[in-house]
Amino acid sequence: MNGSNHWETLEKIGAYAASELSPEEAREVEQTILEDPEALRMAESYLRMIALMGVIGEESPEVPQAVIDYALRQAALSAFFRQAESFFAGVGRAYLDAFVYYLHLRLPGAAGQGI
Amino acid sequence: MTVEDQNLAAKAADGDVQAFAQLVHGYSGLVYRVAVRILNTREAQDASQEVWIRVWRNIRKFRGESAFSTWLYKITVNTCLSVLRKEQAREAREVSDELTYLPVNISIEDDPETAALAAERRGELLHALEYVRAEHRAALVLRHMEGLSYAEVAQILEVPEGTAKGWVSRGRASLLVALSRQPGEGSR
Repeated sequence: MNGSNHWETLEKIGAYAASELSPEEAREVEQTILEDPEALRMAESYLRMIALMGVIGEESPEVPQAVIDYALRQAALSAFFRQAESFFAGVGRAYLDAFVYYLHLRLPGAAGQGI
Repeated sequence: MTVEDQNLAAKAADGDVQAFAQLVHGYSGLVYRVAVRILNTREAQDASQEVWIRVWRNIRKFRGESAFSTWLYKITVNTCLSVLRKEQAREAREVSDELTYLPVNISIEDDPETAALAAERRGELLHALEYVRAEHRAALVLRHMEGLSYAEVAQILEVPEGTAKGWVSRGRASLLVALSRQPGEGSR
């Protein structure tokens, strides 16, 4: 087998170990495994590896508190600045409206309709 | 997606920090464990923080068309892949497609349950994952550690399902080879 065939065989046995082959493909791989002890060992290795990945997947590493604290701090800061921006924009608009009204540039109640 | 998640996401999009905090507390485990497995413990903390900043900034774009967890997986994986792409030096260490030999003697332990308990084995596997190409690694983590379907993996990685299957398959093979090349593996 050349490198490309090796890789193909390796992937095929991996798919077999993960139970992802069709019945026909699986029978083909089983035949290879029966005939080739190297392929059998490879399949066993895959099975152990996949089982180990599954077990690792079930574990939940503890989340560092710093991650949660940082995320919440950044969100709070961002929300504060958004509100402050909105507040000052509102104040600015109110002052502008008052100024326009004071200079009689617009009649009361005629919002958005300058002279 | 649960109605509760959708409500929390909508509130967070309106700037409700408390709602965002509930999402962070509910899903920080998912983000961190995926980051640890795609990256490593050292980089996972920074990446997780970056993920939550991206979530806060972009939560208005979340329309509830997919589950919140799927959307979060997508941001997490993309953030981790960005970190990996910055590490150009690692490229040279990737497992080549042109193998000179096939691994046949990877003794993780005869009994998978025993293996599961061995921290050393877990460490070896997570270390070997670093030698798997970034996209393949992400696909492998989502499929075999997070237990997602190929349709979900494809949605998260934004690739066709066939591509996702190919990435998982190549990732599995690369990981097996990487494990076989770890010091001491061959002699067991």
